[in-house]
Amino acid sequence: MTSTTDPQGAMRPAEPYMNPYLAGIGLGLVLLASFVIMGRGLGASGAFNATVAYLELKVVPQHLAANPYLSEYVGDGSSHPLKAWLVFEVLGVFVGALLSGLLAGRVRRTVEKGPRVSTRARLAAAFAGGSLMGFGAHLARGCTSGQALTGGALLNVGSWAFMMMVFAGAYAVARFFRWQWR
Amino acid sequence: MSAPFFKHGLFGEEASLIVAFAIGIGFGFFLERAGFGSARKLTAQFYLTDLAVFKVMFTAIVTAMLGVTYLGWMGFLDLSQVNLVPTHLWPQIAGGLILGVGFVIGGYCPGTSVAAMATGRVDAVLYALGV
Repeated sequence: MTSTTDPQGAMRPAEPYMNPYLAGIGLGLVLLASFVIMGRGLGASGAFNATVAYLELKVVPQHLAANPYLSEYVGDGSSHPLKAWLVFEVLGVFVGALLSGLLAGRVRRTVEKGPRVSTRARLAAAFAGGSLMGFGAHLARGCTSGQALTGGALLNVGSWAFMMMVFAGAYAVARFFRWQWR
Repeated sequence: MSAPFFKHGLFGEEASLIVAFAIGIGFGFFLERAGFGSARKLTAQFYLTDLAVFKVMFTAIVTAMLGVTYLGWMGFLDLSQVNLVPTHLWPQIAGGLILGVGFVIGGYCPGTSVAAMATGRVDAVLYALGV
């Protein structure tokens, strides 16, 4: 069950989540299908980068030109930066999650946080965490999907090192951020 | 060897985008099913109150790994044609640490934030803007 601060939350109780092992098998089969059909795994942060690269191209092209990492997502300009595999995949993630959420009565507008935390503080933490994540994914060239899940399944040494470090980093600081959920 | 289908030219770039969308739907569906559209559920992993992240992730990794191995043995999937993320150990270690800290503070990772936005979480929108 999700806890929610939204008054609509009382209308229809959300269904419990799926058994984690079953959901894991489902996720694994999707990943396997991606390997078999496409010869590549899943990703997420790449789609964010492509979107940022596209926006910079439209608004501040000289800033983009000075950033070789982002420029890669635009390429030589022969095709639209948003016409990329990961962008379409992430659009699918949105639709798939929405579908699953609707089926289970779990879609409602809310800010997820503990009852004693202000909305503003939670939103600020979410933004800060996202920025750190963006920086980390930039360094490692991938996030939990592209590195840990995909590289992990292919027994990629760097991806396993990455995964261990994600958990190490998270456990090391977790106690300092628990206030968000109390 | 008949797979990966895309690498064997069974379909082109345009069709691959439709495949991407379809695979994404499966990805998002199971992320949300597992409860990964919820920052509280995700971060509970790091307070050891709910180990779903661990269970789902490793079940998924093992499932895909076994599948890839068997299909490779059967000669159906050409493993040399499956893209590998290049290994740059130190950036991956440093990036992983920073990403883990960001995960705890923000409550999501990039993929799960999309699932969270789809189910109406405003904090996930702010998170995605941060990325």
